[in-house]
Amino acid sequence: MNEFHLTEDQQDCLQELINIAMGQASDQLARYLDTFVYLKVPSIESVEAKELMITLSQQKNTLAVVSQGFFGYEGIRGESLLLYQEEDSGRIADLLGYEPDELSQDEQLIDISSILTTTFLNVFAQQIDNQLSYNAPKLLPNVQEILSEHLQQMPFTWNLALKVNINYQVTDYSFNCNMILLIPETAITNIKYVLDRVLEEF
Amino acid sequence: MPDNKSLTTPKSTSLPAVNKWVLEQINSQITNQLNSGVLVLDTDFNIVLWNRFLQVHTDKVSDNIIGQSIFTAFPELPQRWLSRKLSSVLELNTPSFCSWQQRHHLFELPHTRPITTDSEFMAQNCTFLPIETDTGNRHICILIEDVTDACHYQMQLQKTLAEIAQISRIDGLTQIYNRKHWQDTLEQEYAKARRHDKKLSLIMLDLDHFKLLNDNYGHQGGDKVLIEVSALISALLRVEDTFGRYGGEEFAIILPETDSAGAIELAHRICRIIATTPLIYNDQGINVTVSLGVAQLSREESNYEALITRADSALYEAKLKGRNQVCSAPEVVF
Repeated sequence: MNEFHLTEDQQDCLQELINIAMGQASDQLARYLDTFVYLKVPSIESVEAKELMITLSQQKNTLAVVSQGFFGYEGIRGESLLLYQEEDSGRIADLLGYEPDELSQDEQLIDISSILTTTFLNVFAQQIDNQLSYNAPKLLPNVQEILSEHLQQMPFTWNLALKVNINYQVTDYSFNCNMILLIPETAITNIKYVLDRVLEEF
Repeated sequence: MPDNKSLTTPKSTSLPAVNKWVLEQINSQITNQLNSGVLVLDTDFNIVLWNRFLQVHTDKVSDNIIGQSIFTAFPELPQRWLSRKLSSVLELNTPSFCSWQQRHHLFELPHTRPITTDSEFMAQNCTFLPIETDTGNRHICILIEDVTDACHYQMQLQKTLAEIAQISRIDGLTQIYNRKHWQDTLEQEYAKARRHDKKLSLIMLDLDHFKLLNDNYGHQGGDKVLIEVSALISALLRVEDTFGRYGGEEFAIILPETDSAGAIELAHRICRIIATTPLIYNDQGINVTVSLGVAQLSREESNYEALITRADSALYEAKLKGRNQVCSAPEVVF
């Protein structure tokens, strides 16, 4: 237990905020994609930096990772990573309503990632009276070798990451991906402060 | 709720609030001085506003553009894809992005460094932002960043890296593959042949009496012979064969999916052509011959080095038997 760990109350509060954000985001997505979206309750874990490195480097057949930075008021900032397995990416173009030959697979992954990240984080930010801006999403090349290198070369040091497992089931398409939110140390302190405020208001 | 407006309106009460119209003028001048394109659309994708950057780069008249559909004003835009993207900005109220790495450009705009870049149009990073105004009207702001420089340098870097990678595989004198790359390739071909139970053959060859040749014609004469012989052999090979300089005057050829009969036939052809083609150096004809050893992958070898050893022994035998000939490693009976 160190100063960056969330208390049990804070953890519960965060889980609840994320559930609500996920629910609203998937509702918006369903309307945009014009199909039913079934959403399982997202599982949330806070992961130590070291642990995450090990998990990610062991993860087999990771097809692609899309990274997108976000930043808002009160020092809330971080980076979201969306991880796709090879079998997840077959019908993204169909899902997005594009013609398959209209855009490359890279662009499909970037587009869906950006939509998932920003829709979810926007609603999350509203819950805590914040507003986020985003960097352009980037596809990390040659995932297998690059991922742990990328994590080591982050512009900030982070020792806690929020791993949010999103599982979207769409009626006509099955679609899966993992979202990992990397939060730098300083931002964790800020998030804890915000969570405490939300808890007080209840 | 944090004071989100602190950056745009001064908080201090001791200063007189800046007049709304002055602020508007400042904002509009900044928009027009920006070195990026700003384009605002309404919910029907008609153009509401554009900045000077776009006006000067598109060479279009403002009066005609305002109120026009973005797809009429810029017919080069991919309509279906972009409409879907713009809808997502409005419906999800989230920003959307388009990078030059996926699409070099959306808008066909000229750029300011026409000589040094390979594209006619400005490379762009585009950002699509949802804008909500007081009256409840919704708009989309498209920011168009000129990233021609970044794109150009990135391309150059990639080209240079590819060149360096190529150079690191090539023998400087003969321009065929060097020992290291040749050996790496053999290691891979060996693994492939083993995994898929495919044939694989090797030819090792050596110039006959190369020392004598160097003594008679000087080292430049010797170099010339190495270059000419490499070119002669290269012309006889298939694309899938890998030809490398193994040592000083020793060469080696990897022949995937080839049995010993095929490899021996090729070796004889190389032997004959080298022996019958006079090489000209300083107006003198030099007669060169080569000795060749052939080996086919069998159950005997447990690594690729063993295959080299067998081809090398065959080459040694060809030398012993009087040079200018082909010998093959004894067939292994299965």
